[in-house]
Amino acid sequence: MGNGVTLDPHGEALMQQYRELLPTLEQLAKEAYDLLQRALREQGIYVTAIEYRVKSERSLAGKVELKGAKYKSIDDITDLVGLRVITFYTDEVDKVAAIAKRLFDIDWQESVDKRKLHQLDAFGYNSLHYICRLKEPLSSRRPDDQTTKQPLPRFELQMRTALQHVWSTIEHDIGYKGAVRIPREYKRQFSRLAGMLELIDDEFSRLRLVLTDYRRQIQTLVKNGQLDSVPLSADTFRSYLELHPFDRLNKRIAAVNQAEIWPVSQMPFLPVLESFGMETIGDVQLFIDNNSDDAHQLALSQLAITDLDILSSSIALQYLCLVYVLKQGSGRDGLKSVYDMINGESDANGVLADQMMEQAKTLPFMSSPPMARPRGKSLTSSCNTSL
Amino acid sequence: MNTTIKEIDGNMVAMLEGRLDTAASPETEKAMQPLYDCENQDIIIDCANLEYISSSGLRIFLSVLKNVKPKGCHVYIRGLNDDLRQVFAMTGFINLFEFK
Repeated sequence: MGNGVTLDPHGEALMQQYRELLPTLEQLAKEAYDLLQRALREQGIYVTAIEYRVKSERSLAGKVELKGAKYKSIDDITDLVGLRVITFYTDEVDKVAAIAKRLFDIDWQESVDKRKLHQLDAFGYNSLHYICRLKEPLSSRRPDDQTTKQPLPRFELQMRTALQHVWSTIEHDIGYKGAVRIPREYKRQFSRLAGMLELIDDEFSRLRLVLTDYRRQIQTLVKNGQLDSVPLSADTFRSYLELHPFDRLNKRIAAVNQAEIWPVSQMPFLPVLESFGMETIGDVQLFIDNNSDDAHQLALSQLAITDLDILSSSIALQYLCLVYVLKQGSGRDGLKSVYDMINGESDANGVLADQMMEQAKTLPFMSSPPMARPRGKSLTSSCNTSL
Repeated sequence: MNTTIKEIDGNMVAMLEGRLDTAASPETEKAMQPLYDCENQDIIIDCANLEYISSSGLRIFLSVLKNVKPKGCHVYIRGLNDDLRQVFAMTGFINLFEFK
């Protein structure tokens, strides 16, 4: 055996068995990986990485040289194929484990939960290792292939969080490098870092739980109509849109030309609403209530003289924003700023603003005094500042 | 109505000329079919010589966008005159496209 490894006849026999098994191992690794990846995707579990490898001849030779006598045959070596799933959160390690239990036969005698091995006052390598076997023969084998009757080799599935992975990778890199024994005080530093990362892992999971709970509460407030208590944000606006608050005005505008409404995202308008100084979903609702009739009037003045019978589903929101700016007295510059925010900054938006000013100038709301500020907020100043 | 499709500098360019009204739309849609096969390529719809666009014309633009965007393509509209730009604006579709 090359690479400075010296094997006894038993070791050489194990290596020969490995070489004969290698094509099966490669197929096994790929099929186990595909199965797991598909199942995680179907369950909606997003992980930082899923990886697999077949143990290299060199790596196996090193292992056999050290502990070859421990293995009667190649089947006793359980990590010839290795899969690793690295999750974002600690609780997802258990979810992945539950999926693995469903997908594979687990050898419980050989599997180990390293998270539970530590004493209460000790910290270190945290990872869940399952020794698995595929439940079905390799799908890439023909049914009449005699090898399908032989049990497939087992493989190791490691599951851990990204932080656990970082710790174990660095610990492996530093801790096992070279022949120098690591002094106790440095080992203790590794343990302290492991403890710290465990704490951070738990905090990330806790934070996720708190935020999920917060999102649920906000969604409930939106659904119950308690809109003034809901701060305006991407999350809350998205929840609010599920109530289809612009549908009624969309339909009124579409009725002008019996137009089809083409669905598009209304989220690009969130920065416009924020630039108006709106702070809650209640402000948005008030904005709709106060401006819908005028927005309809403005849309009518533009669309009625055309035969355009297709409109985007953001048409109501667009005209509401334009009317709002006009009623605020922000004029051509205000309109251009809205177009810049929606369409991206461009001189062409100035032309659109000019056309809009020209068409809107005869509409009744243009002769009204500037609109009262909703809920006492300084919308005019925030509008003038940001527009 | 004339529609010419060319590949220029790795981009697919559709040059539209004339009035894209209801009558011209079926033929234009057929002529634009090569754009639907694009993957990871920029598509430029050159409207410098487009005089008019109807709702059915807008539907063609939207249909191209809907088909190619998931395949990593960007759809740019080039040379649109002010009147046609206003059509895109008043129907609420202007922010769906990128303009050159």
